[in-house]
Amino acid sequence: MARIILILLGAVLVNNFVLRYFLGICPFLGVTGRVSSAIAMGFSVTFVMTLTAAIVWPINHFIIQGLHLPFLEYVSDILVIASLVQIIEMFVRKTSPALYRALGIYLPLITTNCSILFLALFIPLRKYSFLDSIVFGFGAGIGFTFVMLMMSAIREELDFAEVPKSLRGAPITLITAGLLALVFMGFTGLLGSA
Amino acid sequence: MSSILIATISMGGLAAFFAVMLSIVHERFKVEEDPRVEEILSCLPGVNCGACGFASCRSLAEAIVKGEAAVNSCVAGGGSVAEKISRIMGVESGSVKKKVAFVRCGATLSERSKKATYQGVNTCRAANILMGADTACLYGCLGFGDCEEACLFDAIKMVDGLPRIDLSKCTGCGRCVEVCPRGIIVLDSFENTNYRVKCSSLDRGKKARQVCTKSCIACRRCEKSCPYEACWVEDNLAHIDPRNCQLCGICSMVCPTGAIVKVE
Repeated sequence: MARIILILLGAVLVNNFVLRYFLGICPFLGVTGRVSSAIAMGFSVTFVMTLTAAIVWPINHFIIQGLHLPFLEYVSDILVIASLVQIIEMFVRKTSPALYRALGIYLPLITTNCSILFLALFIPLRKYSFLDSIVFGFGAGIGFTFVMLMMSAIREELDFAEVPKSLRGAPITLITAGLLALVFMGFTGLLGSA
Repeated sequence: MSSILIATISMGGLAAFFAVMLSIVHERFKVEEDPRVEEILSCLPGVNCGACGFASCRSLAEAIVKGEAAVNSCVAGGGSVAEKISRIMGVESGSVKKKVAFVRCGATLSERSKKATYQGVNTCRAANILMGADTACLYGCLGFGDCEEACLFDAIKMVDGLPRIDLSKCTGCGRCVEVCPRGIIVLDSFENTNYRVKCSSLDRGKKARQVCTKSCIACRRCEKSCPYEACWVEDNLAHIDPRNCQLCGICSMVCPTGAIVKVE
């Protein structure tokens, strides 16, 4: 149990994908204009990550390692991710057309979101068990959502702040992202190697 | 050899599995979209120019299906596209009133008086900034032909300092309306009546007559003579109410300056 909690906390805070590994920067900067769409994007990614972890593990365990086909790891990972993103796109389009429009191009772009491929490649590297990898995927998604929420809340406030003219728009966003990453560096080593 | 076979079979199996999953989900979460959206979309030019006022051709197609946009909204496509769309929508294209540009100024170069010699930039916008350059009238056409340049459909020709609109070519896109610094071009569907006041001057009669021989001088003759109460003068300019006009043409006949015209 302690191991599960450690993996979860490690994925959410200590080894946060966005601010620690700098993965998934594209939606991190692209969809954080509004809190509502940022949260929606975060949960979409969480969903894809959790399912990816759940599907990649058996594929990796039984097919890639079981049949000794390590060269097919990337191919199978991309297959899994692309299919999952397609499914979630259809799902979102059906259940919430407004959200579908708000997420726009970033929804299909989850396919090419490096954080998810990283997750899929990371699981066999860490030699996680099936449950561990699901928790890890879920934690990574929650961590992503958490950071998206923080960033979008800050950016909504920034709209009302007196930002120097030369820093308005992208520059102040990047500075904010850098400061957030600095903050997350404070978690380094908190949980040992987890 | 065997590893190639195993790889092919395992990846093929995986792919087939996901394909089946995707098709099941696709059936399960099918979005009931009006098929006319796709049909209209295939008729539209698909260049997403935005001239219709919508962000993309798709959003225009959706708006047409919802009835929020007219079937002839596509400016770039013009008449043929409007006809195709009206067939899809089941609306008679004849019943859709097309709007065309109408110039609310009727004074040719010789009919308006000059107040100065202008040697500046030859555009209406520049001239308008310089208090109308050489044109004495503060409301009328400046005659540099910004509208002619703006027209994408070759429908505007400057004739004698005044834009002449080819109604068969005009698509009613409104680019000339936007570009005219004096706002004398309006989009008009010419419903009920084709009698129009071809003047925009809000000057009092005496001043209006000084600067132009064709301007409305607010004499109220049209107002008094119209049997149907369709004409009235407001802010020193005659107006015609198309709902009341019965096309008798008396206003045009009594107008001393010929500011009321019949648009053919």
